[in-house]
Amino acid sequence: MNTPTNWREWIKAGILLGLALYLALLMLGGKLDNYINVRFQWLTIVAILILSGLGLWSAWQLFKADNLARQHDVGDYQHARVSGWSLSLLIVPLAFGVLFPSRPLDVNAVQSVSLAAIGGGRASASIAPQDRNILDWLREINRVDNPASFNGQPVDLIGFIYREPDMPADQFMVARFTVSCCVADAFAIGLPVQLEGAEQYATGAWVRLRGALQVGQFRGQTMPIIRPQQVEEIPQPDSPYLYG
Amino acid sequence: MTLIPKPEKPSALSHTFSPAPSKTEEQLAVRPLLYLGAGVAAATVLLLSLLSSPQSPAVLAQIFTTRFLGIFIEALPFLLLGTFTSGLIEAFLRAEDLVRFLPKNRVVATIGGAFLGLVFPVCECGVVPVARRLFTKGLPVSMGIAFLLAAPVMNPIVFASTFIAFGWSGLLVGRFVMTALVAIAVGLVFALSARRADVLLPAAMLDACPVAQKRPTLGQGLAQAATIAASETFEMGRYLVIGCLLAAAMQTFVPQEALIAIGSGTVTSVLALQVLAFVLSVCSTVDAFLALAFVNLFTTGSLVAFLSFGPMVDIKSVAMFLGVFQRRAVAYLILLPFLMNLLGGVLINVLNRGY
Repeated sequence: MNTPTNWREWIKAGILLGLALYLALLMLGGKLDNYINVRFQWLTIVAILILSGLGLWSAWQLFKADNLARQHDVGDYQHARVSGWSLSLLIVPLAFGVLFPSRPLDVNAVQSVSLAAIGGGRASASIAPQDRNILDWLREINRVDNPASFNGQPVDLIGFIYREPDMPADQFMVARFTVSCCVADAFAIGLPVQLEGAEQYATGAWVRLRGALQVGQFRGQTMPIIRPQQVEEIPQPDSPYLYG
Repeated sequence: MTLIPKPEKPSALSHTFSPAPSKTEEQLAVRPLLYLGAGVAAATVLLLSLLSSPQSPAVLAQIFTTRFLGIFIEALPFLLLGTFTSGLIEAFLRAEDLVRFLPKNRVVATIGGAFLGLVFPVCECGVVPVARRLFTKGLPVSMGIAFLLAAPVMNPIVFASTFIAFGWSGLLVGRFVMTALVAIAVGLVFALSARRADVLLPAAMLDACPVAQKRPTLGQGLAQAATIAASETFEMGRYLVIGCLLAAAMQTFVPQEALIAIGSGTVTSVLALQVLAFVLSVCSTVDAFLALAFVNLFTTGSLVAFLSFGPMVDIKSVAMFLGVFQRRAVAYLILLPFLMNLLGGVLINVLNRGY
């Protein structure tokens, strides 16, 4: 019973159950959306079910000592016993998940902020201006040919502050990450903001901006720029990404 | 359902078998290289980027962790579905049942082989043993090869994961079209120019268990499937972990400008991603999520080639090919798909640019 294989088999069952538990806690704690588009949460539920099933099955097999011999007889050459290498490697995601606090991508992960929006169509037009988020606005701006038509439209949105190196002191961008599948495809989108005294707001801080749009020049193109009347610093929202 | 004759039960044939491809020998030769290569590459990239990045190491580590876990969590369900299906097939499907319904015409059979995966969903790890088993039951070489190359992509699970990653896009269509074309083309090359004995190892041509195996009961079959799935999750999971680590590292530590420089070349981008696919050896059910990391940085042709070539040939499948095919045939099985995918990828890039 106490063969070297046996403790490996136990660790194997432990990792399967550990991963199931980790994913379940992540989901219950509302942290899953730091990693994937919540639209695909059901896939994680499938994973939790299969992981628990396989983990419990492996553990049950180990409890039944008389089954051990048969168990090792089942696999073909490609299903040979689990090696130490595979064990050490599948511990990696579990270790990362447990050792590092779960945080969403933030301003430090921004390589560049895009003005192009994923998806599109007319859907953004049916949302009232003050209810549009950054993604809705960019879709609308990309859809409508005449930037001047946005003049005076009310804005009420949240995002984090991003600055490009060559920006004047009274300018910044209000940005958010968009995710279509998981954070592998995350990229930052944003809108330019023009504000007297913009310096007092730190890069990376989350803000709620209320104001209006006014057409101006940004990155060499004519586009609507946010002129906030009210800037409120807010904590990072529970769901920091926008989903395409 | 073992493919290897058990020593205590000599088969009815008068042959003695050389023991079937020993996993330990083939894979031990490849494994240290794989891990060493991955480790060195990762360390180099890490060091270079830490030196050049304006961010503190702690911040970078946090971003890296989030990206790594993101790709892993999104991919894990598909890995599990894949290994579970593979277990079910192994437990319940008998090769003799399949071989009975094969078309006689070689060309039709080859084309059929490319689509066999639709009713027979295996990923590239499961496909080699299944193909080997089918060969022993008399499957034509060309059909088996088309099946071997195409099946890891031509299956519902891969379709689902590619669809979730990219939606209805040129990449989704391109992946399946390119896979079918290359698999059929390589299958036909073998059909027209090679004899069975030149392609297959003797052990892969003989029926190891000439007596049809008994059907397992539902309970026995499920038990066997679960055991196989648990082991395979670890066998395949480690490639996924390495792949996720590399993809996350690339996104976090390599400056975008450097990637765009490689990724925008008509030919270099395709070459780069094909080599990466070969080295990463990531399961076809989840590679679409890794490809996400390259979107907007690499050409469309290179992404299609990554998604089509990777499932056909990679480090781990070559190790398994050596247990089924003659060495010369293995060389062709690597070279032909490599060149055809390269050609296809470059062609897509050229057409995309409207030359």
